Amino acid sequence: MDLLLQVLVNGILQGGLYAIMALGLALVWGVLNIVNLAHGAFIMLGAYISWYSFTWLGLDPFLGLPLTAVLMFFVGYAIQRGILNLVARAPMFNTLLITFGLEVVLTYLAQLVFSADFRTINPSYSGRNITVMGLTIPTVRLAASGVAILLTLIMWRFLLHTRLGRAIRATAQNLSAARLYGVEPRHLYAVTFGLGLALAGAAGGLYGTVSQINPYIGATLTAKCFAIAIIGGLDTPLGVIAGGVVLGLIESLATLYIGPTFADVASFGVLVAVLIVRPSGLLGRTA
Amino acid sequence: MSGNTILEARQLTRRFAGLVAVNDVSFTLSQGEILGFIGPNGAGKTTLISLLSGTLAPTEGEVWFDGQRIDRMAAFRRARLGIGRTFQIMQPFPGLSVLDNVAVGALFGRGQGQSKLSLARESARECLQFVGLGKHIDSRAEDLGGPDRKRLELAKALAMQPRVLLCDEVMAGLNLVEIDEVIDVIRKVRDTGISIIVIEHVIKAIRSLSDRVMVLHHGEKIADGTPDSVLTDSRVVEAYLGKKRS
Amino acid sequence: MKALRIPLLLLVLVALALLPLYGSDTIIQFGISTLLLAVLAQGWNIIGGYAGYSSFGNSTFFGLGAYGVGIAMVQWHLPFAAGLLFGVVLAVVFAICLGIPVLRLKGHYFAIATLALAQVMAAIVSNIELAGQNIGLVLPPLNNDPLFYELSLGLLVLATLTVWWLTRSRFGFGLIAIRENEEGAVVMGVDTTRYKVMAFTLAGLFSALAGGIQAYWITFLDPASAFDITLNVKMIIMAVFGGPGTILGPIIGSFILSAISEFLSSEVTSIAGLFFGVVIVIAVVLTPRGLADVARRFRRSGWRYFIENIRMHRL
Repeated sequence: MDLLLQVLVNGILQGGLYAIMALGLALVWGVLNIVNLAHGAFIMLGAYISWYSFTWLGLDPFLGLPLTAVLMFFVGYAIQRGILNLVARAPMFNTLLITFGLEVVLTYLAQLVFSADFRTINPSYSGRNITVMGLTIPTVRLAASGVAILLTLIMWRFLLHTRLGRAIRATAQNLSAARLYGVEPRHLYAVTFGLGLALAGAAGGLYGTVSQINPYIGATLTAKCFAIAIIGGLDTPLGVIAGGVVLGLIESLATLYIGPTFADVASFGVLVAVLIVRPSGLLGRTA
Repeated sequence: MSGNTILEARQLTRRFAGLVAVNDVSFTLSQGEILGFIGPNGAGKTTLISLLSGTLAPTEGEVWFDGQRIDRMAAFRRARLGIGRTFQIMQPFPGLSVLDNVAVGALFGRGQGQSKLSLARESARECLQFVGLGKHIDSRAEDLGGPDRKRLELAKALAMQPRVLLCDEVMAGLNLVEIDEVIDVIRKVRDTGISIIVIEHVIKAIRSLSDRVMVLHHGEKIADGTPDSVLTDSRVVEAYLGKKRS
Repeated sequence: MKALRIPLLLLVLVALALLPLYGSDTIIQFGISTLLLAVLAQGWNIIGGYAGYSSFGNSTFFGLGAYGVGIAMVQWHLPFAAGLLFGVVLAVVFAICLGIPVLRLKGHYFAIATLALAQVMAAIVSNIELAGQNIGLVLPPLNNDPLFYELSLGLLVLATLTVWWLTRSRFGFGLIAIRENEEGAVVMGVDTTRYKVMAFTLAGLFSALAGGIQAYWITFLDPASAFDITLNVKMIIMAVFGGPGTILGPIIGSFILSAISEFLSSEVTSIAGLFFGVVIVIAVVLTPRGLADVARRFRRSGWRYFIENIRMHRL
């Protein structure tokens, strides 16, 4: 029973992290209708930025999150403005191809620049655990999940209550109407994509504190983020949290009852099942 | 016009989460008959056609075709049995030529379907001549204008050698001359022995074409009879125009 | 001009077949890689180009073919042909079992589901003992590049002939109808589910054969290299750039893109991959509708063609 509880808690904690990982993807997909197949690679990039900040500048990964996020924002802005905007009105398939191409570029660049070694971000407190009701919870993991959920809620508030957030949502719903209100779409799209990558970068920084990073994690992470976004639906950040937690739980339970590899198989299976039965996600309306 | 019943709906009902689009509708279509469906927008006419063609499955009720129960049958199988359908929003195969658009019908239609491409194309040619598109045979389907697209829809359905043809608002957007032309084509189709259901808003066309007319309102059948009797039925008038002020 | 096409093609085919006689070792190796990629592109063409279902996961079948050969030859000591057959059987079973549920998805959902599938394969296989788990398998060496070259060429010809047959058959017509308007195809009597699964299976079959040849040629396989995700983007961009839904398009696309990538890169594999990614991005921006469109409109617009493309699709 204790083991089950531990596994459940692990799953929920992992879920928080998953939520922030998928949030950027859901934002860009739901708002810009851009299906970013390189999303995982950007998470990987964010993780490396955090690692280098930690290793060269001694910047604590949690405190350094804003730096990573800001850097990634500019990367995202540039990419959207310079590349993705060029195919914004082409069929969706072109976006799929371009982002897939970007994924290839990023992975190979990372391999070149960072080498293929596995790395982790290990601040001084990384080995510590807290014990609650007989359950062991690594501090770092708890902090990461907590920050993740916090960021997700901040994002939600931003989208719903700030002027920029509302402009973004309005543009998503009606591009021409948004133009009439003085919104410059190219800039807004770029800002939105920048936000998406900032979130990815932050997620990467958090990811680096709890898992190993190497240049190749991009593809797996992308697939997981899609699973989360689809399971939870694209409508609200709450959906993404739900999706993340669901995926985290499925993986933990699958690992416990079947075996570690089958965590991936289980999440893929759930993804396909949800796509077939309810493409709008468990919580969402339309994706 | 009497004859055997070729298509029959029994208490057809279709619900979508909270909305009842078609409610307990029953009717028969006789061999060689032209049956008109009319009703205000949103009355459930297209949904009913989809239930007949197999695009949608009924929540309750049965569909019988030529003595065989088909409501659980997949749409493509019904097409091969001999149920053809045109769509309200015309959907050609844009990348294919007009000829090849129709050839698809010949290849996959009733019975075995033609398996030789050349024979299918010949059948397609005949169907195109029949509906009056002879001079557009080699054009690209997407280049056709509105009225011609309607004819193409008809030709595609005809190439399947259907026994029943379900026409969904074939006259929409046509001018008076074009409407007369399409009426002629549909009559020609019936003369070849095909039974037809025609959904229309153009009352003149319904009156001149149909042997019988059925009226749907809010998913229910509210009248069924000869065109004249139905069109003067007070319930029908009310459905279209709202209650009369006394 | 059209009458010259067949003799011209045969000439090219003969020249290609005779390459091992006059080409250097490097060229022959480049040839094998390119030919196998062309087979993948042609296979994708069947499900993506003709049926309109853009699969982002055909690497799954490639890997299954590779492991089919690997397991058969290393664990069961069967000959190469038996290994190829085993790989094909694996691919076909997969295509049917997974195709039926997944082909019900449309557009980018199908792309995501197939991508997720491809993603999972490496992880699953790395846990199967018979497949050598993470360590992989080492096959009996066969140092005969010209043989592999001819095999690959033969496979490409086979795949291309299959696509050619498609364009003249009822099955192919059905696929095109599905692509152009699936609901319309259904009401005209096309058994769309069966046809889609058949197209998926055909694509899987050719991909598996390519994977099997590659495995024996390289003599070594492990989950990561057999189920290489980047294969998907390569085969798609080659087919789409060259002309999806055409008989020769994917071949032309793969030859040209491979040549460009090779030209731009040095011997270091990682840079080759990098340049390929860059080429993809540029190709999608400048030629979103593929070479066929370039050929058609370049005559009219000249270099402005590319700018027109961007102007048409940019925000």
